[in-house]
Amino acid sequence: MATTSPAAPRPKSKSSSLLSTLFSRPLPLYVSAFLLRLVLLLYGLWQDANSPLKYTDIDYLVFTDAARFVSRGESPYARETYRYTPILAWLLLPTTWTAGAQWGPLAAKVINVAWFSFGKVLFAAADLVAGWLIEQVLVMGKDFPSSAAQGKEKDTEKKEGGRKGRSETATGMDPSRARAFAAIWLLNPMVATISTRGSSEGLLGVLVMALLWAVLSRRITLAGLLLGFSVHFKIYPFIYAPAIVWWMDQERLSGLRAGGGQKKTSSFRKNLTCFLTLPRLLLAFTSLATFFSLNFLMYRLYGHPFLQETYLHHVTRIDHRHNFSPYNTQLYLSSASVSPSHSAGAAAAEPKFKIESLAFLPQLVLSTILIPLTLAKKDLPTSLLAQTFAFVTFNKVCTSQYFLWYLVLLPLYLPRSSFWTSKRMGLVALGLWVLGQGLWLQQAYELEFLGRSTFLPGLWMASLGFFVVNCWILGVIVGDGGR
Amino acid sequence: MRERITFIQKQGDSIEPTTLKIKGGVLNGPEIQAAREDRLTIAIDELPTDLQALLGTAHELHIRYVSSQPYEAITPLLARLPPGFHLFYTPAGQANATSPALCLALNQIFGNVQCENPEKSFTTLPRDRFSHSAAYQFYQPSVDLSPFIALAKEKLCSSSKDQSCAARADRLTNASSLDISYDAISHAVKLTATWPYQKQEVHATSRPQTRTEVGVLNSDRPGHLEPHELGISGLLTVLGQDKKPSATMFAFASRHRDAESSFSAEFLEPTGLHPTLKLRLESSKPPIEDAYCSPHAYFTLPKTVFADRHQLSDDLFLASKNLTRLRYISQPVDLEAPEYVEKRWGSSLLLELSPPEHEESKSWTAQVPLHLRYLSPAEGGYTDIQVPYPAVFWACAAEEGTKFPNNPFEKANLGYDGLFGPRTVFWHVEPRPTIGSRLSNMIKVPVLDTNKAEWVSGGTGLAVLLGFAWIMWKLFGVLSKFGYQNQPSQAAEVVKAKKNQ
Repeated sequence: MATTSPAAPRPKSKSSSLLSTLFSRPLPLYVSAFLLRLVLLLYGLWQDANSPLKYTDIDYLVFTDAARFVSRGESPYARETYRYTPILAWLLLPTTWTAGAQWGPLAAKVINVAWFSFGKVLFAAADLVAGWLIEQVLVMGKDFPSSAAQGKEKDTEKKEGGRKGRSETATGMDPSRARAFAAIWLLNPMVATISTRGSSEGLLGVLVMALLWAVLSRRITLAGLLLGFSVHFKIYPFIYAPAIVWWMDQERLSGLRAGGGQKKTSSFRKNLTCFLTLPRLLLAFTSLATFFSLNFLMYRLYGHPFLQETYLHHVTRIDHRHNFSPYNTQLYLSSASVSPSHSAGAAAAEPKFKIESLAFLPQLVLSTILIPLTLAKKDLPTSLLAQTFAFVTFNKVCTSQYFLWYLVLLPLYLPRSSFWTSKRMGLVALGLWVLGQGLWLQQAYELEFLGRSTFLPGLWMASLGFFVVNCWILGVIVGDGGR
Repeated sequence: MRERITFIQKQGDSIEPTTLKIKGGVLNGPEIQAAREDRLTIAIDELPTDLQALLGTAHELHIRYVSSQPYEAITPLLARLPPGFHLFYTPAGQANATSPALCLALNQIFGNVQCENPEKSFTTLPRDRFSHSAAYQFYQPSVDLSPFIALAKEKLCSSSKDQSCAARADRLTNASSLDISYDAISHAVKLTATWPYQKQEVHATSRPQTRTEVGVLNSDRPGHLEPHELGISGLLTVLGQDKKPSATMFAFASRHRDAESSFSAEFLEPTGLHPTLKLRLESSKPPIEDAYCSPHAYFTLPKTVFADRHQLSDDLFLASKNLTRLRYISQPVDLEAPEYVEKRWGSSLLLELSPPEHEESKSWTAQVPLHLRYLSPAEGGYTDIQVPYPAVFWACAAEEGTKFPNNPFEKANLGYDGLFGPRTVFWHVEPRPTIGSRLSNMIKVPVLDTNKAEWVSGGTGLAVLLGFAWIMWKLFGVLSKFGYQNQPSQAAEVVKAKKNQ
């Protein structure tokens, strides 16, 4: 998982001509990102065909099985553990296609494998688009067009794709430097491996980045559509809604300071009417309409299993299996003690206050209220990163694929972070983050493969240690976001 | 009530008719090396009313208890099942599938049978192709036979003073198998107990109102024997009726045969949370030539452990484990739930094994990848579970047109027989453990140690609270310094204000 800053090329380094060539023009970066994924994809095909240990992620087999059910006119939820929107199974329908009879056996085999890999290609392509969007957002600057003075130019700039006057804004970035930071995502071996193994997280990356791009470039309807769609796809992007809404104040969208020059008297009603701007209502309407119409459609098509597997499962799941979450040991302990058929020892004997029943409180207070309230108007990308980081850190379940959720936002924050200005601090943070996982993974390995009972204190302490490291990093991000 | 007592010797071990002494309903004979089978057939109206009522809810019910002590099977008592308590059940109406009556009765008769009702606790068997399969299956690795033995004494022995009857009931403790079989068509319950091949005295006593038939038999090979048939010869006596035993010889088609080889099963170390069971088969050669044969392993896995059918669908993976394919797995198998929330007894699966292709027979292994469920936290951090041996057999196709009518020693409804076509013959491989003396393997499962769990709740709460407080502190710092407004636009406003001046 050692994938962040040290692996990322340093854009300032003039000594390395290779690196500057890589980032000076778009082509070399995107071609190498493409080649990285192509090599991994082909290697994966080779390993799958020649080794009983598979490169392909188990989730990919779940998706493609579900797609096969769909292709037969059945429900994707006929595949157990398919816990995603049916759209994912529809997208992967080409994985069920096979070569026609006119092909020879060898050609047919190649065609079948190619079709089966369609999903991985799609996820890898989503990675590249997400990376390109990262570059666009960085070039655009965190608050483009930031000042009222640019309000008049807004329309013309939009038509030109926002290329004009970039260097004038304080936060806009030189494209080659932007590409260097986008490389943290594009050339990240972890990201490339996850998508070429067939995990769908790359799709989320492109959706979130497109959402941010749409918001920053004031494409409100598109932003609403993307927000509604991504929440339908994976729920967690709902935490971005308050930040975006809070950010979209009148001055930003119309260039006018709301209530400026008028009397300072403020009443609740006036504040409310000031708050309920047309763009905000438009965003709320388009996102809710997208979300509910998609859900309504899926419910009509697949009925209760859709609701159960995609949404309700997250309410009823026990999450007793070991994962990075600080709550994990507690959840295992309490899930066993509520079961009436077993006596689970002393801990279960007396009914105790259950700390985990309030777990959603710090998580949601931070990620949906306090962080967006404090940071969104100052620095929207950093706010989104901090929110995602808080959501993942305080979640009741946490696995390494969740790290991708904030990794895609990292290149937007890093250039102005304390972790970048002080390289030592950055290395310490990265080192602790990797070490925290390493300690946990070592304990998990002893449990999973050697059969040692490392739940207590090993795994528990390791997950708390990792949690503390994450909290420290989050605190620094929050502090940076305020500057 | 009818009783049939059969002593079965190996081929060539027959006894002289004169050695059997029959006197007033008592038969005595020499001590011989033999297996023994006792079968009691009880008409439904001879049963106590509560059991009558219970069986009234069943279309068919087969309970098969198999001892975990290894035993040598003797022709024709060849059908094998994994050791443990098996139950096959077809309710008379669907309402009975949700009624707890059967489970309550099982708990009374056998003690500690972990079931709530058939719908929740049993698995369903496929009934599309072969209708002779029961609707539901249940299994658990062990039961306590003592309540059943007490019940048998109470109901079957005429008085508490009948010591020989009580002793016979007590001998059920040593039985290698016990079958209780009922179906609505025959309107009778058959109790069949078998004891392993060992030295024992030929002895039988008739019981009042019971026709008792005693056979001292041995497997034989009469001249006209067809390849799919077994031959039996020996002496039959009906107690209280015959003055001397009558010689007999007969042949019958049997779906269960002896492959005359053995296997053992053990887990690869370390077991971890994903144990692999290694089957070692003594022979790689099919039991018969000129027939299509392939070796199979039939597992009944308690809910503590399960196989993932998706993992067992990849040909390369299967081949690397010397498996051909997963022929059947009961559905559904939850791949995530911990043991303590899982209501179903577990799962059954049938794996086709892939023997090495060699001219001469040699020993070989197949590996079965399994997964453990999380178990309840326990003191000390470990819980031992037992994983029973599978039943291993070569399934061979009999010739076209071969019929297998019921035979006097036939067992049907074994869980796996319904998964094969009606012409399949099962050549059983004898389980012979190399480690320990039981037909099951123990796994030490790591669980959360309740002795150390004291601080988990408080510690977790404290850590979360501290982390939360730190971030709140940082947020408060930002808010108190800069407020929640947009910094650059405020700056822009300042610029605007200056311009206006």
